[in-house]
Amino acid sequence: MNDFFRLDNLVMQFGGLTAVKDFSIAIDPGELVGLIGPNGAGKTTVFNMITGFLTPTSGKVLWQGRDITGAPPHAVTAQGIARTFQNIRLFTDMTVLENVMVSFHHTIRSRFWKAMLGLPSHKREERRIENEARGFLEELHLGHLADEKAGSLPYGQQRRLEIARALAARPKLLLLDEPAAGMNPQETMELARLVREIRDRHRLTIFLIEHDMKFVMGLCERIKVLDYGITIAEGTPAEIQRHPDVIKAYLGEPKHA
Amino acid sequence: METSTRNTLCNIVLLAVLAVVLYVFEKHGTEYQIRILNNMAIFITLAVSYNLVNGFCGILHLGPNAFITIGAYTSALLTMSPAEKQLSFIIEPLIWPLSVMQVPFAVSLIAAGLTATIFAFLISFPVFRVRGDYLAIVTLGFGEVIRVLCNAMQSLTNGPLGLKGLTPYTTLWWSWGVAVFTVVVITKLVNSSYGRAMKAIREDETAAKAMGVDPFRHLLLAFLISAFFSGVAGGLLAHLITTISPTLFTFFLTFNLLIIIVVGGLGSTSGAVIAAALFAWGGEALRVVESPMNLGFITLPGIPGMRMVLFSIILMVVILFARRGIMGRSELSWNRVFAALRLQTKA
Repeated sequence: MNDFFRLDNLVMQFGGLTAVKDFSIAIDPGELVGLIGPNGAGKTTVFNMITGFLTPTSGKVLWQGRDITGAPPHAVTAQGIARTFQNIRLFTDMTVLENVMVSFHHTIRSRFWKAMLGLPSHKREERRIENEARGFLEELHLGHLADEKAGSLPYGQQRRLEIARALAARPKLLLLDEPAAGMNPQETMELARLVREIRDRHRLTIFLIEHDMKFVMGLCERIKVLDYGITIAEGTPAEIQRHPDVIKAYLGEPKHA
Repeated sequence: METSTRNTLCNIVLLAVLAVVLYVFEKHGTEYQIRILNNMAIFITLAVSYNLVNGFCGILHLGPNAFITIGAYTSALLTMSPAEKQLSFIIEPLIWPLSVMQVPFAVSLIAAGLTATIFAFLISFPVFRVRGDYLAIVTLGFGEVIRVLCNAMQSLTNGPLGLKGLTPYTTLWWSWGVAVFTVVVITKLVNSSYGRAMKAIREDETAAKAMGVDPFRHLLLAFLISAFFSGVAGGLLAHLITTISPTLFTFFLTFNLLIIIVVGGLGSTSGAVIAAALFAWGGEALRVVESPMNLGFITLPGIPGMRMVLFSIILMVVILFARRGIMGRSELSWNRVFAALRLQTKA
């Protein structure tokens, strides 16, 4: 059985409302999996359960053979799962470079007092972090904006910065929550190429939520469809496009003449 | 010359100038001038350490007066001689180990900082369970609790009578030494990875968590460091005023510090330094307006309290014209100074 990443019958209830019911999936290393579904289907809730922002009512999150259900978000990130947010959440008043450098903090070895006294070992570490952070910025074509305030960037670049920041946390599994939201077709196409590139270069496994069907169908190798918290279909893009339940969820029941 | 070498040199020169100024005032200054300079240094220490929590972590903490009180009492109880303590504690004698202890001033200052830190650690668990207004109320409550305890614990604090006749150990060298150390250490922390983590929590706690930053650990770190320096400053203040009582460190002190860091710019260490210096000096300089004034054609009587009115007006003007304080969130660095000079010469 797969022990890279597996979700076992995740259930999330908010009071009387079941947001997600019996969600299970196993993802192999290197896969690019999509999660789609109409608004309010519970997609982001699934991400929040994986990353520790929500503790599932029942079910398990298994990561590299370990049960990480209910671990706090920062611990989940430290173990190699990073995410982006549906509504951009940058550190707006910090520079672009600083935004990326924050992601290195969980790898820092020198203690706080070394930082306070400005010891050489800490300075070396700071320089290493800065160089590596600049590398990630270059990779996402943001290098020339390093000293700009993150909040002053245009929308598309903010989205890319979110990805750069998540990459800098050195994940093995990257969760992208609607990365193409608000982008025009041109930008969306470039994003798809970029996602594939970073997956290959960093040997990442990517699990993403997206509404843009063209984007998902062109990019993902496997897709899961949620509706009202229930998994209604799973398969390759071609299978999903033909699946009657998916068509019904998106377009409604065909009328009988 | 490389910029970092240049900046180091400039810092050394600045420190030397400060040392010369302090030396001159110590030799030739009046007691009043020395008092203002001491106040300035202590307020710089307090404001910079308070700003670490409120400015850089974005937490509305309203209890620094508690840590100042704890520091002041700890340090005072440790420097008084056993005989003095016996004379002061007339209603109830001081409890045992403290009643016979006496340590050098330096040791008492460190003990003051550490005791404040221990208290900060104890209350941090309830404090950081909440955020925003709720956190403000919890810390405000803690400040009040400490004040009430100081009044009530006769055998430890001598109650409302307070501690009198402390030796005035606080010299310009002590107060400014601590101030410089605090500024250097906190600036280094803020510009390090730890400082970035704190700012990230301030900007967006959810995103900070998702990037692997543990908010509790970093807020706790800032809170404890801030409490340590507040405690040390409390010890300095006690040995400057030489008399301490529970009424000395009320919420009014916290309020003043809050004004200082807001006027200086929340999240700017240099802003906090500038505002603290202006506050300590301005409070005295404005005394002029309270004395009777002869304008030649009319003689104005002195109005007590006029100084506070003027002070408030100045505050409002600052906030009106610089909504994020004097410095905003930027710092007054050598790079900026030289950049400004270069522009000047070009023009």
